[in-house]
Amino acid sequence: MLTSIFSKGLWDSRRSLLGWTVAIVAVGCGYSAFWPTIDRPEIQEALDSYPQGLLDALNYDDISTAAGYLTASVYGLVVAILLVVYAVSAGARAVAGDEEAGRLDLIAAHPVSRTRLGLQRCAAVLVSVILVSFIFWLAMLALASPANFDDISVAQFAAMHLHLALFGGFFGALTYAVGAATGARSLALGTGSAVAVLGYLANGIIPTVDGLEWVENLSPFGWLTGSDPLRNGVDVADCALMGGLAMLLVAIGTWVFNRRDIAV
Amino acid sequence: MVELAIRTELLVKDYGSTRAVDRLDLEVRRGEVFGFLGPNGSGKTTTIRLLLDLIRPTSGRAEVLGLDPQNNGVALRERIGYLPGDFLVEGRQSAVQLLTFLGNLRGGVAAARIEELAQRLDLDLDRKIRELSKGNRQKVGVIQAFMHEPELLVLDEPTSGLDPFLQHEFAALVRETTAAGRTVFLSSHVLSEVQEVADRVAVIREGALVTVEDVEDLLARSGRRVEILFDRPVDEREFFDVPGVSQVRAHGSSLHCRLEGRADDLVKRAALHTVVTLSVEQADLEDLFFGYYDRSGEVDDAD
Repeated sequence: MLTSIFSKGLWDSRRSLLGWTVAIVAVGCGYSAFWPTIDRPEIQEALDSYPQGLLDALNYDDISTAAGYLTASVYGLVVAILLVVYAVSAGARAVAGDEEAGRLDLIAAHPVSRTRLGLQRCAAVLVSVILVSFIFWLAMLALASPANFDDISVAQFAAMHLHLALFGGFFGALTYAVGAATGARSLALGTGSAVAVLGYLANGIIPTVDGLEWVENLSPFGWLTGSDPLRNGVDVADCALMGGLAMLLVAIGTWVFNRRDIAV
Repeated sequence: MVELAIRTELLVKDYGSTRAVDRLDLEVRRGEVFGFLGPNGSGKTTTIRLLLDLIRPTSGRAEVLGLDPQNNGVALRERIGYLPGDFLVEGRQSAVQLLTFLGNLRGGVAAARIEELAQRLDLDLDRKIRELSKGNRQKVGVIQAFMHEPELLVLDEPTSGLDPFLQHEFAALVRETTAAGRTVFLSSHVLSEVQEVADRVAVIREGALVTVEDVEDLLARSGRRVEILFDRPVDEREFFDVPGVSQVRAHGSSLHCRLEGRADDLVKRAALHTVVTLSVEQADLEDLFFGYYDRSGEVDDAD
């Protein structure tokens, strides 16, 4: 565990990683296990009586199927938000957090290039996000039969969790990049939070305004659930967009990190 | 020509409109212990961080072990041991975990070597870093700088927080290093911390080099502060003509002065009265700087 900056990064984040994995699995499965309760005529009738605009804003456009319910309330909401909080804070900590704590000097004075230092720290964050998504995937597969959503296939779940990992990875890459480029942890956290909030609004509230439906295409939350991966499988365009943007951000952040002074 | 471990030429580092390092020319020879002295905030740490490529110069250049830090940073840092001025690390790991990890970044350091150093410095390697006192934490820092036996040690205020026993052990480590032909570059704001180990010192103030000279010459020049307490008030004028004595001031029965060179004449003059106590201490660095400025002022006047 103490052999490289990458493995040390993962090892040092093990407590936070374990905590967030437990939280995401518990909350995600808790909400998912609620499906049999929702899937009753009286609830569906109640939902039908809500104004369509409100349902759209909450992304409750298709809550009468398990896939629709899970997409709207689990993947598009609680799990997405928890994963964003984890990825944003881990990404901001990767370089900027250590730097503000005055710990980066020592590592950077060792025979490692800035590029290697930055990329390995970032890789540790991205791998941890993938790990959370993977463990949550296993938990959902185990829950599928008892919670009555076994009409969703293993592959469909896998597609959803691939989207989820890329979505979390995008936010981790974003805050890593801002932190690596500037050394300011709070700026990285602020940028990550702002993108998350605006992205959430752009996927639910803003498109309810006539003429602004296109905004949904700019939202990471739209890239996460807009194509309905639980029904339609992997959306190559959305995945390529999230992965491509993440790589671009990592490249830019590392490039600037390579050229700037490390703060004392 | 003497081989150089460190050479800087007109090295400049600006932070906005503040000049942290000002046209610095330094030459550190291989195999010597070089002290880098200056008051806090004088640019010592900034210079060191330039040498390690943690920050980039505004202008001028540096060459360390024959390499340009900016273009050959990795190859260079392989051959350097560095102790930061503030040795800060994640506190939830044990000292041995941290040292093993740092060793692995250098291709591995034998566990026996780490244990040997820990034993010498009397450090419990299994304790968590956050449980260690400031002095013990500094020991971890010293070990990680020395453990891979680098060609050049760059130590920023290495003895801060170490007690006298450890300062002594540290001095022994430094001497062993140079005996093996390796170079030590260490900074301090206190002359007394480096005078025991350093061959030469550079003094910087406000980022600019004030002087480079042999420690012995500097010590001789810096003088000592002497305070003599008599059993009754004395007239300070009695001491004005004592060779090597200056800045004489008497307060009641105590006499303060600055002494350069031998103490013999002063002691004999004082012995004409009854001496109750006598204390001598090294003039501190600030005194030394004022000494320089006085001196240059005198030279200007003479011109």
